[in-house]
Amino acid sequence: MSAHASHAPAPKRSGLWDWLTTVDHKKIAILYLIAGGIFFLAGGFEALLIRLQLMYPESQVVGAGLFNELITMHGTTMIFLAVMPVIFALMNAVVPLQIGARDVAFPFVNALGFWLFFFGGLLLNTSWFLGGAPDAGWTSYTTLALNQYSGRGVDFYVLGLQIAGLGTLIGGINFLVTIINMRAPGMTFMRMPMFTWASFVTSGLILFAFPAITVGLVLLMFDRLFGGNFFNPDAGGNVIIWEHLFWIFGHPEVYILILPAFGIISEVVSTFSKKRLFGYSSMVFATALIGFLGFMVWAHHMFTTGLGAIANTLFGLATMLIAVPTGIKIFNWLLTMWGGQITFPTANLWAVGFIPTFTIGGMTGVMLAVPPADYQYHDSYFVVAHFHYVIVGGLVSGLFAGLYYWWPKMFGKMLNEKLGKWNFWTFFIGFHLTFFPQHFLGLMGMPRRVYTFLKGQDLDVGNFISTIGVFGMTIGTILFLVNVVVSAKGKRAVADPWDGRTLEWTIPSPPPEYNFAQTPLVRGLDAFWIEKMAGNKGMTPAEPLGDIHMPSPSFLPFLMSVGLFIAGYGFMYHNYVVVVIGLLVTFGCMFARSVKDDPGYHIHEDEIEEKGVKA
Amino acid sequence: MGAHAHNEEVRKPKVKHDSPKRHVVAFIGSLVLTALAFIAVAYEVIPAGFTVPFIVILAFVQAFFQLFVWMHMDQKGHEYARISIFAGLFFILAAIIVFIFWVWV
Amino acid sequence: MATHHANAVLPDEPEKATLEGKNKILGFWLFLGGETVLFGSLFATFIALRDQVNGGPTSQQLFDMPLVAAATLILLTSSMTSVMATLALHKKNLKMIQVWLTITVLLGIGFLALEIYEFVHYVHEGHKISTSAFGSAFYTLVGFHGGHVAFGILWIILLQLSAVKKGLTVVTAPKFYLASLYWHFIDVVWVFIFTVVYLMGMIGGKVG
Repeated sequence: MSAHASHAPAPKRSGLWDWLTTVDHKKIAILYLIAGGIFFLAGGFEALLIRLQLMYPESQVVGAGLFNELITMHGTTMIFLAVMPVIFALMNAVVPLQIGARDVAFPFVNALGFWLFFFGGLLLNTSWFLGGAPDAGWTSYTTLALNQYSGRGVDFYVLGLQIAGLGTLIGGINFLVTIINMRAPGMTFMRMPMFTWASFVTSGLILFAFPAITVGLVLLMFDRLFGGNFFNPDAGGNVIIWEHLFWIFGHPEVYILILPAFGIISEVVSTFSKKRLFGYSSMVFATALIGFLGFMVWAHHMFTTGLGAIANTLFGLATMLIAVPTGIKIFNWLLTMWGGQITFPTANLWAVGFIPTFTIGGMTGVMLAVPPADYQYHDSYFVVAHFHYVIVGGLVSGLFAGLYYWWPKMFGKMLNEKLGKWNFWTFFIGFHLTFFPQHFLGLMGMPRRVYTFLKGQDLDVGNFISTIGVFGMTIGTILFLVNVVVSAKGKRAVADPWDGRTLEWTIPSPPPEYNFAQTPLVRGLDAFWIEKMAGNKGMTPAEPLGDIHMPSPSFLPFLMSVGLFIAGYGFMYHNYVVVVIGLLVTFGCMFARSVKDDPGYHIHEDEIEEKGVKA
Repeated sequence: MGAHAHNEEVRKPKVKHDSPKRHVVAFIGSLVLTALAFIAVAYEVIPAGFTVPFIVILAFVQAFFQLFVWMHMDQKGHEYARISIFAGLFFILAAIIVFIFWVWV
Repeated sequence: MATHHANAVLPDEPEKATLEGKNKILGFWLFLGGETVLFGSLFATFIALRDQVNGGPTSQQLFDMPLVAAATLILLTSSMTSVMATLALHKKNLKMIQVWLTITVLLGIGFLALEIYEFVHYVHEGHKISTSAFGSAFYTLVGFHGGHVAFGILWIILLQLSAVKKGLTVVTAPKFYLASLYWHFIDVVWVFIFTVVYLMGMIGGKVG
């Protein structure tokens, strides 16, 4: 807030250049949503091809080799490049507003996180055109993922995920600092909305889980590109190390994904029941406990590796423990609805659809946590059904609920309710049609990751139904896209369309770039609702109206990510000139950022008042 | 006595500057700990089975010395620093224990 | 503490004077928590693979303990000099910050030179990243640390140079503070490398 900065005019940027240089969390949220949405469509298209191949026995829609690439890219894309960014989109759009902040703690880092993710994902997907996609499964187990058994595609997996993972990691740190340091006066930890709490715990999990995959990917890179022997048993290497490192990251990752969905459901269910969230403090406790236990269970993915009875027992028990806090959450949602004035706009439809669907996924999870039983389920379609119930039926439902709920706040437009309901029912029915039969396919012995099956093994009907279900999900997704287009011409959203309870509904939709003209004073949980009940029109401001300091936009995050993108190809093709050029770009940008301080600019008081009147 | 204590408080600057002495002591302590570990290995002064736990404990003592004294993790306002370092340490120690016992099958 | 007239306007503990500074320090501590997991994962891998020499040289045959002891001493001293820089920062004395950081950087370069010499020496002895799982794990763990040292040296030099122009302000103070934290953390990691890689390597054989 140095004095000399206040004379700097607000930078005027428009069009593409504005989006490439923005450090505004609301715009970054939209970037995350668009990029994540595109990757979601790519991953969904891959899923469609997989199911078409498995529609009939001994089918040849895609060959065995392409099938392996499809399942690998489907899993990798969906987890790392589709649902993670959409989660980040909602976190970016909502968390600063919910805590009454003008921006995140590190706007520059926020933009950098997005561009790293984007270029990492792009690098991974260029593999389709450069000698074939990775084909060792999304878990990329060694030795299958070593040079002897897998093609160049796995190099794209290693470098693409490394770059994207860095972006996620710094994004996680950014949100932790934002939530710890940037809360409005009166917004204590135990007054934070549940979605903010979930984002907080998720960011913590990102912080401690992603370094493990970073190391795992580095080791795999050394083995594949520089003659390392970490996973080469001939030279004393050990393939179990990859499995451990992958799942030390991979299991917390599951909770990184699902906790924000829990947060969204808590917000939506409470708003549309017109009730305070039941058992708020037990909800917070359960979220933190799930986060903690999430780190202690990774070896349940490895029961059949032969770690021995002691390891299997310990990890099995720890896994079952997670059912306790999760159960607390489910009962809290039910009790929130109990006696509430429930309405069912599309957002709440998704939320209410989430609860039973996720519970089924949770229950099959407990079944899988029993090591002796897991020897039967392992690597079968039962597992596939389980994690799709959790991630699609759970997480994706949660994300749709969140999108319908916060769309007006993000874009200032209402999504069409009629289309929304069609979207929900087609997707919801399609989902259950796809994945419910897969439980039984698995129990009947169908292994996952096989590209076809034989006639007359009682697998035909289940697979056929499963593929029919995918059409339902496809139609649902298309309807959502139609809804987005229709809504662009639809009616403008008011500031508080849902009679909301939290701070984001106190400001215009979409919010001005500085979010809050005056930082609000928070007087309790569900801060806006408290003011409404007290008969107040809005929040009590915690500060007088004054100039607002904003960070300058910057092109450096984009350039830094491009540098790593270029260096990634250099590593893969052993072209060290390219590596050096790429790294020079990245480090050059870091240098420039360090040397040149950003004075930012100020939005003047009168300008704020003007805008405030308009909205 | 009460008045005297009050006076002292007034004379103190707002922020307590930690003296270089404390840090030099930590430095010497670290040197001693390093030397102890070195001697334990080089001259086999303690039973072989205890050497590894002994030097690992020494390493942890020295690490905490540096975290708390040099990096000021003992001071107020470092609550999240403590949480961050100890949570990371806790999670990864669980992993290291698994890597010691359950990697080779 | 207003003895330095030039810096009299600078508040006490200038690194925490602004919200930006506080954010940076908190974010950096969280980053270090992540680094703990990163190095921990490398340690875990090393511990699992340290006996897998695949016919190549073992750690007992390789390690040159006087050299390692010298490197340890150098890095430990550099950590102490960087804490002196932080003390100078709290006294708002830019000149002494520069002096202590220069010593720190020189010691860091000394450490790095010893490490490079050591690596070259080992490669001549037939201990490469491709020799064995032990070789891969050794170079990755120790090399990651060396890379951190190299980055730290460049970072501190950059801060020193830009501080010549900018002086000690509420913007530059957090950067000095963070660089010092980073440098200490590198030294903490080295304490474990010294213990787990070198000392335990000299004991040799299985842990038990």
